[in-house]
Amino acid sequence: MKKRKCCKCSLGRKLGRLVLKLLGLALLANAALFAVFFFDLDGKLLFNVVEPLLKKHYDNMDRKDTLKAPYDMDKYPSYEYDV
Amino acid sequence: MAKKKVDIKKLARDFWHGKPHGERRLGELYEDKTGLYKHREWRGVKDTLYYFYMIWLYNYIFMVKDIMEMGGPINFAKGVWRYRWVGQTYLPVLHWFDRGMEGMRGETLRASAWHYRGMVNETIRQFQRMFVADTKLHGGKKTDAWYHTMAHNETVWGGIFYPWSDHFDNVAMEMIPYFVTCHVNCHTVLNYIDAVQSIGLPGDPCPMCQAESGLFVLDDMPDYAPFIITSNEACDASVATSILQDWFYDKPLFAMPQPMQFDDPLVQKHCRREIEECWKFIEEQTGVPFNWDQLVKKLRQQNQLQEFEREKWEVAAKTPYYPINGVAQALYRIYYSQDGDRPIWHFCDKKVRKILEKCVSKKINTFPKTRHRVIAWSCAPLYYSHWCTWAYNCWGLNVIINMDSLMFDMSIRTDTYDHCLDDMATYHMWAPMRRMAVGGMHHIFELWENMEKFNCDFVMMYDQLQCKGMQGVHGHFEDEFRSRNIPAVWMPHALPDSRTVSRAEIRRIINDYMTTVMHEEPLDPSLLDFDDSMGW
Repeated sequence: MKKRKCCKCSLGRKLGRLVLKLLGLALLANAALFAVFFFDLDGKLLFNVVEPLLKKHYDNMDRKDTLKAPYDMDKYPSYEYDV
Repeated sequence: MAKKKVDIKKLARDFWHGKPHGERRLGELYEDKTGLYKHREWRGVKDTLYYFYMIWLYNYIFMVKDIMEMGGPINFAKGVWRYRWVGQTYLPVLHWFDRGMEGMRGETLRASAWHYRGMVNETIRQFQRMFVADTKLHGGKKTDAWYHTMAHNETVWGGIFYPWSDHFDNVAMEMIPYFVTCHVNCHTVLNYIDAVQSIGLPGDPCPMCQAESGLFVLDDMPDYAPFIITSNEACDASVATSILQDWFYDKPLFAMPQPMQFDDPLVQKHCRREIEECWKFIEEQTGVPFNWDQLVKKLRQQNQLQEFEREKWEVAAKTPYYPINGVAQALYRIYYSQDGDRPIWHFCDKKVRKILEKCVSKKINTFPKTRHRVIAWSCAPLYYSHWCTWAYNCWGLNVIINMDSLMFDMSIRTDTYDHCLDDMATYHMWAPMRRMAVGGMHHIFELWENMEKFNCDFVMMYDQLQCKGMQGVHGHFEDEFRSRNIPAVWMPHALPDSRTVSRAEIRRIINDYMTTVMHEEPLDPSLLDFDDSMGW
């Protein structure tokens, strides 16, 4: 005689598997993050890759020649208050 | 050849608790030259996991959260792409934590990290506010934030702007683009020092003033406010900075210099008048009247921060239970006392109070390897503010307190307008690098009473080579150290410029003193000599 499947049990098993999967994923993410932390991989990435790229970008940026700006000393009124 | 016997019990103990001080060999964790870690320190299971979850991960997550809440990721990305001082500096911020907290354990690790968290949050607030308001990042458009932000020199105390703080925000021009960068990545600032020298400024004025001007020479300052309030930052070189800022910013400017003489009722009167004139200027520029109630509310909140600071000092002075290391204490204190009242300081103080109370009630000796209780005097090297952490790990030199922390030891009265203005004028005059650095012999020699008060037996005397003010009293200190029989090390440096006296040279000077004068052995010999010349 065939056993009838119980809907509740099957749903429970599915949920259980999902929870286990999520727990596994969380553990994996934790282990990966801990490896990044412990072996200073964030520092190594920033030092060896990100910073050199950014420095190259900043070194080659077009910049306004601020020395060409006139020094408008009389542009604004002088502030005199009678406190 | 006999095999070396492995002590399993000791291995297990080291794994669980971390190696005891003296066996850690922290210097062997560094990669040569870069200061990067071969691997981060194993502090035992509990403290390593605390560092991983509650410091490293927590701060990365909250940095992202802060950026999302304060201006959003687009403004942040634009800012990083446009301004060297943010892109090159603030991405490796967790390494700044690492350097400050090497070798720390237990409550010391926790309390010091909360101080760093406060500074990171406030730093993000400031640069994100700059970017949200910045016309350079928004196609020249003056946004609502631009109209509602006030710019000022970093040594104009944030409290000056309290009366408008319910409708406006204030951001110091240099605190984030200059001051904090030097601590986090000491290489960024060199671009700005070189820039200002490239237009003809000689190399011998204070490099702080040079760097602050260099930001403008390289057009690396956001345009985030309609007007500016400047000060002389308590030295003559900074007056020249203000002139360059006036030229390059080309905005309505109110100059509110700290008087070079103080402790004088006439100067006090003059200073009160200048603050009132400044308030009038702000009223005129913003069209919003001075709000006394708002000023009182904010001052009372700031007074709460000061009250807790005094409680911390009490514990530091009289017990071995103080859980904050030298660098965290120094940076946090000067940051908030100059920046002014912000919610994050109260949040962090609440966390630190719990830890402090735990240490006192359980009598936890927080720095058990202390050989000398050190007071650090004058202005510190910004590129090596974490020397205190190194000095404790290597020599057992425990920095209990420093000059910058003690400068603003005052609560501001709010019972009457007259009292309030009087105290605000005093606070303004006691600017950083002012009261106890170039503020006259009486204040400079407050070292002796503070040494006694904090129960210190050793002085680390900072010697800013390009500060003309302090150089004049070098000999007086020498005489006093001799006559009082106080061990003191002169630490030469050039404030932000790590090229003049390197970190390695500073370590060598301390090592020499500790071996030849004090005849002591290092706690961790691996830290005596290492090359971190390329390190952040």
